[in-house]
Amino acid sequence: MSIATGTPALEVLGLQKRFGGLPATRDVSLTVMPGERRLIIGPNGAGKTTLFNLITGDLTPDAGSVKLFGQELLRIPTQQRVHLGLARTYQILTLFPKETLCHNVVLALLGLDRMRWNIWTVLSGQNHLYDAAREALALVGLGAIADRTVAETSYGERRRLEMAMALAQRPKVLLLDEPLAGLSQEERQQVRDLLGKVPRDVTIVMIEHDMDSALAFAERITLLHYGEVIVEGTRAEVVADPRTKEVYLGE
Amino acid sequence: MRRGAVALLVLAAALIALPFVVTNEFYLNLASQILIYALLAVSLNLLVGYGGLVSLGHASFLGLTAYAATLFVGWGTGQLGAALIAVVFSTLCGALFGVLALRATGIGFLMITLALGQIVWGIAYRANTLTDGDNGLRYPARPRPFGLDISSAPTFYWFTLAVFAIAVFVIWRLTRSPFGAALQGARDQPRRMRMLGHNVWLIQWLAFVLAAFWGSIAGLLYVYYNLFISPHAISLQQSAEVLLMAILGGASSFAGPIVGAVIITLVKNVVSSYVDRWNSLLGAIFVVVILFMPFGIVPGVRQLLARWRKPAKIPERAA
Repeated sequence: MSIATGTPALEVLGLQKRFGGLPATRDVSLTVMPGERRLIIGPNGAGKTTLFNLITGDLTPDAGSVKLFGQELLRIPTQQRVHLGLARTYQILTLFPKETLCHNVVLALLGLDRMRWNIWTVLSGQNHLYDAAREALALVGLGAIADRTVAETSYGERRRLEMAMALAQRPKVLLLDEPLAGLSQEERQQVRDLLGKVPRDVTIVMIEHDMDSALAFAERITLLHYGEVIVEGTRAEVVADPRTKEVYLGE
Repeated sequence: MRRGAVALLVLAAALIALPFVVTNEFYLNLASQILIYALLAVSLNLLVGYGGLVSLGHASFLGLTAYAATLFVGWGTGQLGAALIAVVFSTLCGALFGVLALRATGIGFLMITLALGQIVWGIAYRANTLTDGDNGLRYPARPRPFGLDISSAPTFYWFTLAVFAIAVFVIWRLTRSPFGAALQGARDQPRRMRMLGHNVWLIQWLAFVLAAFWGSIAGLLYVYYNLFISPHAISLQQSAEVLLMAILGGASSFAGPIVGAVIITLVKNVVSSYVDRWNSLLGAIFVVVILFMPFGIVPGVRQLLARWRKPAKIPERAA
């Protein structure tokens, strides 16, 4: 397949991160073009989530750079990166359990809305926010239970809520951390269908531990192992590469 | 909700009519004190309940305002000028304290607020030339807002009630506002809030400044009521008592700190005239409430009411 030229949506260069003596990310570089669907795979402890945390600013790298559409992100705090068009879902769910699904998505919408500084207006009267939240929930198939609290939902529903919150922000680059983990076969198919519907102006980078379940989604694949990029290429190239079999599929 | 609105109207009418029923000045003044401490507790609860930031230095804003107002009145700025300067000064101190305290969260935040409160207390206690140390300062006379005389017990009570009602309404709106939702989100999931585009630090700092502002308004009422301010009013014990009001009444509810302020102020002033060890009694009340209602009185009573209503519903469904 042809690779588009121009400014990459996401460009990571020589990224390094150590936790004490343990290197979690070793000289990782990768370039994701606008509209691309990138899969990052690797065994447990390969540094996949650490890479996301470095991109979002949850962690500060020891060396290297992260660029979003050509703009250096390193000195920009996490919340500002979100305003530049970055969104992510978490592998370990970090939702607001006592609130309704709708309210969770509204918090996501407020994050990009100046109204979040308003101390006078009653939030529950802001129909445009709640309508947009319901729309996002309907998109992931949670429209019917929008008024339930997170505590009353199943694990699969929470995973989809994570997606709804990220998608509601209309990001330019969407980072998905194991969106299929812990889901039933049926739910996995729903999430895959949902990903298929995401418009092409959204660039998606997805982490998956289980390669098979996400293969169909990927155009290009990056294989991480012990914090290093081992193989990168098109789906066919990476699957065929002997090193992939060795570190990932082999044992 | 409609039933709640009716209850609120009845309560408001009762509060306005109070001076006609309670003619004893001691008790009417007590009602004014309760309102002042309730406002202080509600303002603190913006941080404790809604922000998850437990502060042990909130009485310092009461003190900073009271001292500043007294000093500036003495320097001839006039009542209104002194009040404005005092509230602005105290709120600015809150802005500075917020920057320092929000270097940390949890216990660290608590310790920094405690230390800042102690510094304010220490200055009030030691800066003799300015504050007359332990003797305290006299405030010359109550102001005449809009030409109204508030020197008598009933008129001062109505004045306090009006300020209290406006302040509490504005704070209540905040808790229902987008900012209030963001503040509670920052309390529950700060990392996720950042990843949603929220500036968690700025949200918490603004909450700190707003809490300081409303605490300062309570401080103004305090000095108008007592016509006196001394280091005692801003000691660690005072800050702890206000925190106790919020926790006893229930920091997770809006009305909790008000209920807490009523109980603690009553125990302090009424029971203490019969019982020497009223502090022990307060401690006992606190232990019992927390034992049976770990989230405080208002959420606890709500839970009890819900439990009473539920069993009545089940047979209905079966029938």
